[in-house]
Amino acid sequence: MSKGFRQSQAFLHTWSGLLLGWILFLVFVAGTIAFWREGLNRWMRPEIARVEQPMRVLAGSQAFLASKAPDAKSWIIPVATERSTGAQVFWVPQPKPGEERGRRGRRGRSDTQALIGADGQVAQPRETRGGEFFYRFHFDLHYMPVIWARWLVGFATMMMLVAIVSGIVTHKKIFKDFFTLRRAKGQRSWLDGHNATAALALPFHLMITYTGLVTLMALLMPWAVVANYTDERTVFATLFPTASVVERTGRPAPLIDLRLIAAHAERRLGAPASFIEVSDPGDAAARVSVSQSASSMLSSRTPRLTYDGVTGRLVWQSPPPGAAAETAGAMIGLHAGRFAGNGGRWLYFLCGIAGTLMIASGLVLWTVKRRERLTDPARPHFGFRFVERLNVAVIGGFPLGIACFFWANRLLPATLRGRADWEIHALFIAWAAAALTAFVVRPARVWPSLFAATGWLLVALPAYDIVATDHGMFTSLAIGDLMIGGIGATIVVFGIGFILLARRVARYQPNPKRVRKAAAAATSATMLEVAE
Amino acid sequence: MSIVSFLLAMAGFVLLGLATDTHHRRRFGYSLQGRRCTMLRMGGWLALVASVAPAILARGWIFGPILWVGAIMAGAGVAFLTLNLLPMRGTLP
Repeated sequence: MSKGFRQSQAFLHTWSGLLLGWILFLVFVAGTIAFWREGLNRWMRPEIARVEQPMRVLAGSQAFLASKAPDAKSWIIPVATERSTGAQVFWVPQPKPGEERGRRGRRGRSDTQALIGADGQVAQPRETRGGEFFYRFHFDLHYMPVIWARWLVGFATMMMLVAIVSGIVTHKKIFKDFFTLRRAKGQRSWLDGHNATAALALPFHLMITYTGLVTLMALLMPWAVVANYTDERTVFATLFPTASVVERTGRPAPLIDLRLIAAHAERRLGAPASFIEVSDPGDAAARVSVSQSASSMLSSRTPRLTYDGVTGRLVWQSPPPGAAAETAGAMIGLHAGRFAGNGGRWLYFLCGIAGTLMIASGLVLWTVKRRERLTDPARPHFGFRFVERLNVAVIGGFPLGIACFFWANRLLPATLRGRADWEIHALFIAWAAAALTAFVVRPARVWPSLFAATGWLLVALPAYDIVATDHGMFTSLAIGDLMIGGIGATIVVFGIGFILLARRVARYQPNPKRVRKAAAAATSATMLEVAE
Repeated sequence: MSIVSFLLAMAGFVLLGLATDTHHRRRFGYSLQGRRCTMLRMGGWLALVASVAPAILARGWIFGPILWVGAIMAGAGVAFLTLNLLPMRGTLP
């Protein structure tokens, strides 16, 4: 490899990594947390009992829908599992004459949905987005049109792929120096840390970035679809085949017990069911479709079975998907890790943390490297100051926002109008305050205070649960609810981590009159060690 | 079985790490010589290759390779942290 080539790659790595690094940091943090989406859904609704008999929830869902929306166009019932909060059922009312059929975007309406809890009754927990917030934020961001956000995230992902590949070329020693971590050596240590988090989880980084692009491919590269299909509906029909639609007869007929159908479908599929869709319930033409759960197979495009809703006879099953659909499905499955059990999820989570640290250390490395070359360290040029402060605002501020989001979940009154939205506003208000501070006060002081604030907020959270509520960490562990107890424990570990990080960063400024350059270099050198 | 795969991967990476001069000197107090280096490397690679088998046996041909990659990453991570952060017995780094 010529020197010129490597230099060009280094340039590419520096700038592709820096310019979208802040967005990638957010995407990585949110995505990493979203691996515990279902757990967080439950943790953020602590008043909901754990589901122990999923079939009881299903029977309750059917009874509720039959009384609430007996003549709906369709019902959609997620099959509850021991991991879920229950079944968030929703129904589509009969379209009124003249109204457009099958409009999307209605799923958010609260008057056509309900949560059926473990006892089969309607549950009314506090209003919250729970773990879903992190899942959506991971690719939709917030406060902006979804389509822009996806383009932005898609573009950032593309740059991530560029940064990873050019990074392998640039840091050519990552495999040779695979085991090296030189501590307290300034720029060297930062580089070692950056390389270690990159190299150790390299298969994950490549996989997650590439499959991330695949999830957005229809948006980013629509041409294959445009060239081959004239109608959007044909594309959907090809990708997601369904049984032929039956006309409503108008003759009433009782709907079969959905538990029987679920049991038959699970036997036939050899795996748990995830969704049950009932069309025209209560009519002689009722149909019940059961989708297999994605936890049982790699591909996220799972098979479906359709039954006659009155007799319970199997009328249709989805054909095996084509190779391309299967590949795309497998990649999305790999990205989301829905097939993974708790062990696998921990691995995904830890790899996500490695990725987050890789991005954070890369961003900080940009300043560490340039600080030594500044002509006047007391007065750095605008670009340097901007990157340095944006680093504080994003890397220090976003975790603080998340801590405040969790606190808002605990403290906001249940009767507050738009409560779920206010939880999210709390995140952004705290983050904005942190960002403002970062641009006003000098970084050497803001870094430790933001980390310390995040740390103490996180540590205090499970403590608050134990003292002020009856569903604290130890109660959960005592009744064998490892997920809820585990989330509490993990939050404490993260809190302690942030506090130690803050201590470590702060300790290296014992005397503010000392040369700032040396102090800052030492600070940055130690930060990563703790993060490791 | 997946634990076996992880342990083999970890052992492999510890051996490969000890096959670098820095870590060898830190752990054994003397420089790495030719034959010993080859042995450590061979051992490391053998353990890594061997870690494929239990992963496939545990989870089959679809999930086995994924499990194996996971085991490799986890093994490398633990080996990395052990080699770099585990204090030495009485000697200075």
